[in-house]
Amino acid sequence: MKVYLAIARVTARSVLAYRGAYALGIAGSCFQLLATTALWTALLAGGASIGGFDLPEMKAYLLVGFATGLIGTLVGDWVLANRIRDGQVALDLVKPIDTQKVFFAQNCGGLGLEIVFIAVVSGVFVLLAGPMPGPADGWLFAASLAFVLPIRFGITFLTTMLVFWTENHHGVVWARDGVAAVLSGAIVPLAMMPGWLQSAAAVLPFAGLTSTPALIYLGKAPNPGLLIAIQAGWAVALWYLARFAFRGASRQITIHGG
Amino acid sequence: MTAALLRDLRLYRRCLGAVIRGIMEYVADFWILIGAGIVTQSLGLVFLGVVFAKVPTLAGWTFPEMVLIYSLFGIVAGVLPIFADGIWNLGRLIHEGRFDYLLTRPYSPLLQVLSRSMGFNGVGDTLASLAMFGWAVAHVDVAWTPGTVLVGLVLLASAIALRLALLVIGNSAAFWVRSPFVFAITVLRVGELGRYPIGIYGLGIRLLLTTALPFAFTAFYPAAWLLGRGGQAWLGLGTPLVAALAWLAALKIFNLGLRRYESSGH
Amino acid sequence: MKHLLRRRFTTMTAVDAIDLSIEPGEALAYVGPNGAGKSTTIKLLTGIVEPTGGEVRVGGIVPHRDRQANARQIGVLFGQRTQLWWDLPVRESLALLRDMYDISPTDYQRQLDRFDEVLDLGALLPVVTRKLSLGQRMRADLACALLHQPKIVYLDEPTIGLDIAVKDRVRDFLRQLRAEGTTIMLTTHDLADIEGTCERIVIIDDGKIIYDGGLAEVKDRYARERRVHLQLGTPITAADLAARFPAAAVTPGEAHGEFTISFDKSLLTAGAVLTGVAQLAEVVEVRIDEPAIEDVVRRVYAGELNITPGPADAAGAHPPSASPTSAHPAGTHAASARAAYAAGAADARAAGVPGAEDVTGAAGDVDPAEEASR
Repeated sequence: MKVYLAIARVTARSVLAYRGAYALGIAGSCFQLLATTALWTALLAGGASIGGFDLPEMKAYLLVGFATGLIGTLVGDWVLANRIRDGQVALDLVKPIDTQKVFFAQNCGGLGLEIVFIAVVSGVFVLLAGPMPGPADGWLFAASLAFVLPIRFGITFLTTMLVFWTENHHGVVWARDGVAAVLSGAIVPLAMMPGWLQSAAAVLPFAGLTSTPALIYLGKAPNPGLLIAIQAGWAVALWYLARFAFRGASRQITIHGG
Repeated sequence: MTAALLRDLRLYRRCLGAVIRGIMEYVADFWILIGAGIVTQSLGLVFLGVVFAKVPTLAGWTFPEMVLIYSLFGIVAGVLPIFADGIWNLGRLIHEGRFDYLLTRPYSPLLQVLSRSMGFNGVGDTLASLAMFGWAVAHVDVAWTPGTVLVGLVLLASAIALRLALLVIGNSAAFWVRSPFVFAITVLRVGELGRYPIGIYGLGIRLLLTTALPFAFTAFYPAAWLLGRGGQAWLGLGTPLVAALAWLAALKIFNLGLRRYESSGH
Repeated sequence: MKHLLRRRFTTMTAVDAIDLSIEPGEALAYVGPNGAGKSTTIKLLTGIVEPTGGEVRVGGIVPHRDRQANARQIGVLFGQRTQLWWDLPVRESLALLRDMYDISPTDYQRQLDRFDEVLDLGALLPVVTRKLSLGQRMRADLACALLHQPKIVYLDEPTIGLDIAVKDRVRDFLRQLRAEGTTIMLTTHDLADIEGTCERIVIIDDGKIIYDGGLAEVKDRYARERRVHLQLGTPITAADLAARFPAAAVTPGEAHGEFTISFDKSLLTAGAVLTGVAQLAEVVEVRIDEPAIEDVVRRVYAGELNITPGPADAAGAHPPSASPTSAHPAGTHAASARAAYAAGAADARAAGVPGAEDVTGAAGDVDPAEEASR
């Protein structure tokens, strides 16, 4: 445990050292937030509402989506992908540490700076984008938010395993992020999607990334306890799925001789 | 002059051809990238589709018109990785010291960089965007004449050239800073705003997208000209001029960077 | 954001008042400690960097001004970096260079045949660059540098990290090139690379040329010490050996029967030592060390040796570089540089060259959030 705490600390420090570059990257993402806000403002002008969302609610939804979209992304999965690609991971396997826990610790290490960025962007957004509702229930929202990191980590770690079979990490990342964007409700709230897509999204882990925290923030979730339970279930399930997959995949490289 | 130009083109084709043959060794990657391209380009369509199921127009634009702008942007953005993805290698070449070699060969360093790799995701991007574009064209009200087609093609070529110039500028940051990607990517993220009618943005963003980072000319203005609407439809005809100016700036900055270049290590 | 733009490096003089000219067909060894300015000189001559002062000419061309014309007459190898396309088979990289240098199909085939003969290149042609071993990569890179039959070849550490067999192959090849009249400039840490290839040596330190003359002379004058390591089969003491060779120093080795005899080769020969020892004891094993050129350079650097162009240079077959314009009619040199180069270059920093004052601002220091955000 101590070693993973140390890893998290070291990562936090190195992430901090590159804060300038990260800040520029975040500034880029802010333009995405700006574009979607402008689109929804045009759509919901004059008090209109779509799918049960009016403009202030939609703005809050977008901001929560931005925040959850940042959690667990600063420390990129390319660190692991590169380690797999150049065979370094084989060296990790002989060390008395757990690769999955190491990378989870690294993701936790990035969390501090992520929270700082989220706070800054949220502050500016609230100032500029005008009135929006506060969280319906702070505690429930915080609980839901807490599961974003483990779920994202599980999905990321699991898909990064594909690099054991393909050299091309970019393609995997793009495809995964695309699918996640749709099914998490980051592109549009799931409530506006066709019924079949909604039911699919309800049982998949992605909704826990954006939709669940955003709906709980807005008080639009009919049964927040259940949604959080689903998040928790996926967080645990993904952890063990990823573990299982990693064991299988790393056996593959040891057979091939790394 | 012409002979030199033909030689440049021939060499460019050869370099790219070799790179493609190299990539084709990894068939799985090829399909993953094409799939990724299609997924990425479809995201906005999901948004537009869901939204327009509930409302008839967005800021005065109909669904097919929005898809037209969106898919035109996708085509322009998708074609470039196919033949000029190498620009993303500039930073790495410089920082690993391999850029030195490019300077010791009798071929333009910029062309060597541009032709150095190929992104098959562009194939997926382009295919998905072309499909959307085809659908949109069938559903918008445009009086097609040979003239419209011709001007349309010129605008398309200019838009592609313009976007490439902006990418060259963004990646040329590598000559000055150690991490060039973030600059180029930030430029691209700003550019993503150009997928939608710029009337939905505030004045500052509209100016930014029209002047400093003229991504509005890579899709919106040409599309607005084609549709004959959007207030300043005639601005679309300025795309070739904007592209030319952007290339002047890009070459200037790249050459400044070259002069600034000091190779690292031994 | 401030972090992103912070200026980090200070200006240092990487090469200061280098005055060097190379005759057509000459083979020049260019040596010095790490960071002395060797690579910078090569970058000046290839046009990769522009001198901050002075003038560089290669075959009548100013390299940084007319880079592409210069490129056609030179071949370059940076031993620590490859110019091969990373994801392509060697064959494809060579074919691309063939096109860039407008090499005719017959010339190309002839060169490939030749490389196959001397570098055993044929086996490497279908291999993708990233799967090459270091030695294989170096052979392929040599082929790249020489494909267009350049008049002038700059080789920066062409044998670094190679095993003996490949090194020998590369050296043989260099000697062949030399015999054909190619102008060669070679930087290396390994004296054996120079042997038989270069007859002129230029030693550079701290951005300045400290010696320019014949290789034989420098060895005669500054690298005279020889060491004979012996393993003897008969019991004998160091004192016995020392008595036999009063002009030499004898040190016993770690194991029983091991001795090292050091002597000045102008006073004694290895042959005389061996004959003498053989009379006293049974010689089981012998190894003879010649000092490497970097030893000479290091001793110069440490102030133990004071190199001044002496009579050996003046009388030698190789004209001291002096002033290129006065010694030779302008334009006949294969390459000449009277240049200085000051920059925030890593070379200068590695050398620990003092005297960094002027801040020009250089690279910022950001690292990749890159792939994360792309």
